Amino acid sequence: MAAEATKNYVLFPGCTIGNRIPFLEASARAVFEKLGVTFEDAAFSCCPEPVGFQSVDKESWLALGARNLCIAEAAGKIVVSLCNGCTQTLKAVNHELQSSPESKAHVNEILAKVGKEFKGSTIVKHFVQTLIDDVGIANIKAAVVKPLTGLKVACHTGCHYSRPSEVMQWDDPMHPKYLRALVEALGAKAVDYDEEILCCGNGAAMADEDVSNKLNLRKYKSALKAGAECMAVVCPACFQQLDSKQPNINKAFGTDINLPVLYLTELMALAMGMSPTDINLKMHRVKTDPVTGKLGVKAEE
Amino acid sequence: MGIDPDFRRDILDINIKGSLQFCYQCNRCTSECPVSNNTDKFYNPRQLMLDSLLGLKDKILEPEDTFHVFGCTVCDRCDEVCPGSLALTEVFYLLKNKLAQMGKAPASYIGQAKVIAENGKAIPMQSAIERRRTQMGLAAVPDFDLEEVKTVLKEAGFGERVKVDGGE
Repeated sequence: MAAEATKNYVLFPGCTIGNRIPFLEASARAVFEKLGVTFEDAAFSCCPEPVGFQSVDKESWLALGARNLCIAEAAGKIVVSLCNGCTQTLKAVNHELQSSPESKAHVNEILAKVGKEFKGSTIVKHFVQTLIDDVGIANIKAAVVKPLTGLKVACHTGCHYSRPSEVMQWDDPMHPKYLRALVEALGAKAVDYDEEILCCGNGAAMADEDVSNKLNLRKYKSALKAGAECMAVVCPACFQQLDSKQPNINKAFGTDINLPVLYLTELMALAMGMSPTDINLKMHRVKTDPVTGKLGVKAEE
Repeated sequence: MGIDPDFRRDILDINIKGSLQFCYQCNRCTSECPVSNNTDKFYNPRQLMLDSLLGLKDKILEPEDTFHVFGCTVCDRCDEVCPGSLALTEVFYLLKNKLAQMGKAPASYIGQAKVIAENGKAIPMQSAIERRRTQMGLAAVPDFDLEEVKTVLKEAGFGERVKVDGGE
């Protein structure tokens, strides 16, 4: 990729990755660095979270999101997000303020109190978009030294990765294809399963844990039925829901699901020759040994 | 349970694509909805759209249990499949905001909003995570201007509309 493009990104890790599960950030930074992309950092606040905070007070959500966009705008950088939720908030705030002069004027009145102004020139990308658009599948394939041959992966992009399509303007909202393409570029097999676009249940959990559990179980069963040996995700909220809560689901339903969940850059790191120790795979709630074992990767000490 | 014209106007004002009033109740939203299809509790986006567009404020906002609104997992599938391209999720956000102002949002929503309002992050940094970041070779998460975040929220009217302390 062009040298100047590699210097033009600011990373938006988000609260969940940065402040709770930073091993996902570590694998992302390591993978992008191997691909020739480095990120600058900036003093962002919460994006703010689209499901909860927008539901409580949309006006505040808009203003706080606009403040973050102003910070990226002042730095003249493209925002690369590691989280579906942050991506959706930043794209949706951008979209609303760019398309509504009234909203923009109102938010700028608020931002003027802190010496900021939303102009609307910032580009926001999910990291999958950066991988596809700016790095390219060919360069990713070229970086693979330990192909994930034979590994059957159930791809789960999550909802806010590409919906609502009018705002997100990325991938097919109901039949997402780029995560599958990336997983296959690593040598793995993306399985077809019925519930590929089913929500992880994270949003529903805020109102009713039981509904959320049912969505999870349905998702796991569908993936397992298709022969999946692990799931690939691109969002920390989906990751936590599908990995961290898996034991709770088993307890709630008396099931015995054991389906490792890997963030895309973890799969990429393994395929690029990094070890499970390098990327702290031991931090997963659901053990990833079936995956690393199958790949013949040295187990973690 | 009558029609409230002001409430109806609020709904129609989210007329992003100029087509909200053309909902013809085809039920595509509900047939696509993962929540409607996976729970015995009542959550039905088609019904919620009908009640909203009719302006049935009390029917929507009065019940103590708000699952018929907050059951939405915000997956945006209804928006995507709606043949009229109606912005259903936007309507539901407005309803959720109104319930939050009435102190009727589920505790997890208010709890999260309180954390964001006080810390500027949905998940505040902890010293254990700071140590873990260092062990992993990650730089510290950059400090941001919390006072500025609080000013933005105050100027946006957050505290006036929503009570996050000791809510009912």
